Amino acid sequence: MINNTRTSHEIHATPPGDLAIWFFIYAELLAFGVFFVAYAFARANNVELFNESQQHLNRTSGAINTLVLITSSYFMVRAVAAIKQGLSNSCARWIAAAIGLGFVFLAIKIAEFNATFATGISLSTNTFYMFYLSLTLFHFMHVILGMVILAAIMVKALRGGYSAENHIGVETGASYWHMVDLLWIILFPLVYVIR
Amino acid sequence: MQYQSQAVAKPYFIAAIGLFVGQIIFGLIMGYQYVVGDFLFPEIPFNVARMVHTNLLIVWLLFGFMGATHYLIPEEAETELFSPKLGLITFWVFLVAGALTIVGYLMVPYATLAAMTGNDLLPTMGREFLEQPLITKVGIVIVVLTFLFNISMTVLKGRKTSISLVLLVGLWGLAIFFLFSFYNPSNLVLDKYFWWWTVHLWVEGVWELILGAMLAFVLIKVTGVDREVIEKWLYVIIAMTLITGIIGTGHHYFWIGTPEYWQWFGSVFSALEPIPFFMMTVFAFNMVNRRRREHPNKAATLWALGTGVMAFLGAGVWGFLHTLAPVNFFTHGTQVTAAHGHMAFYGAYVMVNLAMISYAMPMLRGRTANSGAAQTLEMWSFWLMTVSIVFITLFLTAAGILQVWLQRMGDTPMGFMAAQDQIMIFYWLREITGFVFLLGLVMYIWSFFCKKGEAQTAA
Amino acid sequence: MSETFTKAMARNIFYGGAVFFFLLFLGLTFDTMQQLPGRDHRENITDSVVRGKHLWETNNCIGCHTLLGEGAYFAPELGNVYARRGGPFIKAWIAAQPTGSPGRRQMPNFNLNDQQLDDLVAFFKWTGEINTAKWPPNIEG
Repeated sequence: MINNTRTSHEIHATPPGDLAIWFFIYAELLAFGVFFVAYAFARANNVELFNESQQHLNRTSGAINTLVLITSSYFMVRAVAAIKQGLSNSCARWIAAAIGLGFVFLAIKIAEFNATFATGISLSTNTFYMFYLSLTLFHFMHVILGMVILAAIMVKALRGGYSAENHIGVETGASYWHMVDLLWIILFPLVYVIR
Repeated sequence: MQYQSQAVAKPYFIAAIGLFVGQIIFGLIMGYQYVVGDFLFPEIPFNVARMVHTNLLIVWLLFGFMGATHYLIPEEAETELFSPKLGLITFWVFLVAGALTIVGYLMVPYATLAAMTGNDLLPTMGREFLEQPLITKVGIVIVVLTFLFNISMTVLKGRKTSISLVLLVGLWGLAIFFLFSFYNPSNLVLDKYFWWWTVHLWVEGVWELILGAMLAFVLIKVTGVDREVIEKWLYVIIAMTLITGIIGTGHHYFWIGTPEYWQWFGSVFSALEPIPFFMMTVFAFNMVNRRRREHPNKAATLWALGTGVMAFLGAGVWGFLHTLAPVNFFTHGTQVTAAHGHMAFYGAYVMVNLAMISYAMPMLRGRTANSGAAQTLEMWSFWLMTVSIVFITLFLTAAGILQVWLQRMGDTPMGFMAAQDQIMIFYWLREITGFVFLLGLVMYIWSFFCKKGEAQTAA
Repeated sequence: MSETFTKAMARNIFYGGAVFFFLLFLGLTFDTMQQLPGRDHRENITDSVVRGKHLWETNNCIGCHTLLGEGAYFAPELGNVYARRGGPFIKAWIAAQPTGSPGRRQMPNFNLNDQQLDDLVAFFKWTGEINTAKWPPNIEG
């Protein structure tokens, strides 16, 4: 594939995509950010409980999911690059691949939640599990929302709704999907690994 | 006034202001009972005065919303109301039902009223803000549904703007969440949990959509800024409102028996609730600075700007002050809550209604704006009422902090009444400031009758 | 690239965001409903408690008092009044109103009979046993 240097190295004066999505992204980052800070405070007051409970989390599935989301994000990068060259079908295929990995993420996560709930753990078990379940379930819902957004964009791309000149919509969806990825990249080490 | 049927708004606005006066008078009675405990006892016990005060507030705000809707929907939809007659019938039914309810509150003991109005069939009475007898509640539902039918039909046959859609979503949400007022289980925790679905999801949810739509309408009219610009900001702001405000309900679920994770969810999301209010302030000032016309109605512009600032201070800042669970643990159910309530309701809903009335009333009386003298008077009333509410809030906050200190901190906490005696000075100051507020309100009404100077008629 | 900010996208975010967060709210509500029986001890809601709550409502007690911190701030918190005062005191107090002392806050006499007073006390006792995350901070409410 010929790489178009203008599009791949373009420097944006404004955030890519529709500015409206950025209000949403900032709001989400802020909500998660405050939650992360709250986690830090709660952990500082309860280091032993947090360290002990953390042992029971499935770090392998978390790590796999990290790779899954990063790869999925990469696919969205390719989707944006494709539409910038006017390749609607290629764009749609990359988005489909990104959504597919979204399903993989959800499947792994569901398996993990199943194992957790099977041991009788709930939001009210202790502060650590409250944070673990709240943050991961909240993020889980964001993955689903992101997939819905991507699916809508994919359908529009398949119908030829985007072009090399007009691809704001694809960038908008990609921006949101990258945020979902970014949140996991912070969430995973914070909740699963750091002690 | 571009459409004949907009005139339906006028009686709604007049009733709203009339009930507003009643609300303030009962507020002054309660304020005086705070310092002279047996004032008007046993004729009007405190609980009755408070019920009248809060119920009049809710009802007059609803009258304001409905008047505003009847005024702005024809202009937005570019068509006459579906049925102006229905609009007037709704008005009279609502007014008579509301008046009878208030008379009932004042004339008979509450328990008698409950027995007379069939509360035993479906007990819904006696919960804060939802004290209305069953028949009044059913009446409200019928009135609101009739009104919504009329408005929805008008929008359906005309132009569908974002402002009308947001307003409709807000009004339908208002109707739907009111239905939770009919759910009153004998389990107090469940009762409280879903009581908030009416109360919180109204004032920190769907009412803010109504507020946003009304403010956007007034701003378009007085600034002449492009509708596209105003409407997309409207969407962004109300999106932020619901993103933070829905889970923000959790700040009421800290201490009523609900699971403790609500302390985290409630704190995190309600800490973000000031953001949409801040955006609203910036938005209002920006639009006025970018205005494309000099609208002769300066007073309406002032009210619109004031709404942004005071809603941010009252709902945003004063809400944030006590919304974090560790702080709320001490302030919950004290005068701090009362302080927040007063400024938030004034800043958000009273002011947006007055902004709308200030803009629309001259139009309804056949002029673009009132005379300079009348507007000067109105702006004086703006400052008197706004500054008084700021001081009332400050005095109540001081009272609340002192109350927390005396009654909730330390090894030898004071009893409730002993602590109340210690903070009497702030209740006196609040009551005196209340009279300044009443003076401002009288000037506001007076400005409608001011004959001095020339009204501006050139449209 | 010129800045893009469309009304259609702003609208989508409004509707999408509202639905998304309402679903999250419903999810949390569902979990809360599962947890509540262990916190409100609903098995202890006797007929007397039910009648007591009804009396609480039909006499508009919330118009002066707070209950678990919600209500009016004119008179003391009653969520923990059973622990603070005990049943006999509560009954005697209600029956003795109003005090009539000049200038002091007055509570009306609601003409309750002994059975009704017992019901109210039962309601206060049950309310006091709700797990309120250790609120209020002390016995004074």
